[in-house]
Amino acid sequence: MEQQATIDLLYVAAFFLGGLGFAVGPFIISILLASRSTRNTRQKTKQLIECGVEPIGDAWIRFGVVYYLYALMFVAFAVDILFLFPVALIYNTQGLVGDLRAFVEILIFVGILSLIIIYAWKKGVFKWERKIYNPR
Amino acid sequence: MGTQNIQSPIVQFAQVDKLLDLGRANSLWPMTFGLACCAIEMMATGASRFDLARFGAEVFRPSPRQCDVMIVAGTINKKMAPAVETLYDQMPEPKWVIAMGNCAISGGPFIFDGQYAVVEGAEKLFPVDVFIPGCPPRPEALIEGILELEEKVTGSRRWPRVEVG
Repeated sequence: MEQQATIDLLYVAAFFLGGLGFAVGPFIISILLASRSTRNTRQKTKQLIECGVEPIGDAWIRFGVVYYLYALMFVAFAVDILFLFPVALIYNTQGLVGDLRAFVEILIFVGILSLIIIYAWKKGVFKWERKIYNPR
Repeated sequence: MGTQNIQSPIVQFAQVDKLLDLGRANSLWPMTFGLACCAIEMMATGASRFDLARFGAEVFRPSPRQCDVMIVAGTINKKMAPAVETLYDQMPEPKWVIAMGNCAISGGPFIFDGQYAVVEGAEKLFPVDVFIPGCPPRPEALIEGILELEEKVTGSRRWPRVEVG
């Protein structure tokens, strides 16, 4: 039993090393076999932008947060839907929980979650305007 | 300013280099890069009727860092020349250049006294491996140019030479 476990571990290690070899191997091979420099005319080999044009400014800018808030709203309602699935499963079954009580409960649940909209509305999430301005 | 010297690889074996050259020659990756009307012919070459994929050279890459061969397809304006040179700089070794059409070879119809806007040939900017004459060259000519380049890379021609006439 002990021996079998060791052999299994060895298999895992062998496959791990194999996978690692396939992932890292090409990098090592290309470092060894590729030319270490390239012919150039204007010393622009290291320029980040690859369309031939001089870059304007850098990528470290502050982005508008508008869409992020909008996406957060979507997540809130996605979770809402997620909680409605179990309710849908037991909604119409007979038992201690009457139909009316289940209906009222789900009404309260969805009602509370709907307050998100009012909150976000008040906060101005639905107004699509830039909240941060680029200092440049 | 620039340099035409290449630092050679760390590991060098003649047989391995031959194998690599064979692979490179039969899977040349051109750059998606057209300057003028020759580019239309280049597109036609890549499309279904002339089908550059038969020769392994159909993978037009949008980034110079992934390219093997730059097909200078068209007139190089003086305004455009810095961009072309930057793209050439950003291609990794090994790289080749095909000058396609009369404009890329010598300036073509744009050579006249007092001409101020056009670079008279791609070779004014960087070394060129294959020249394809024509205004514009037919797709068959571009394919022949790529086959010539393959011959230059491997030292032998894989495809039969077409007899004229």
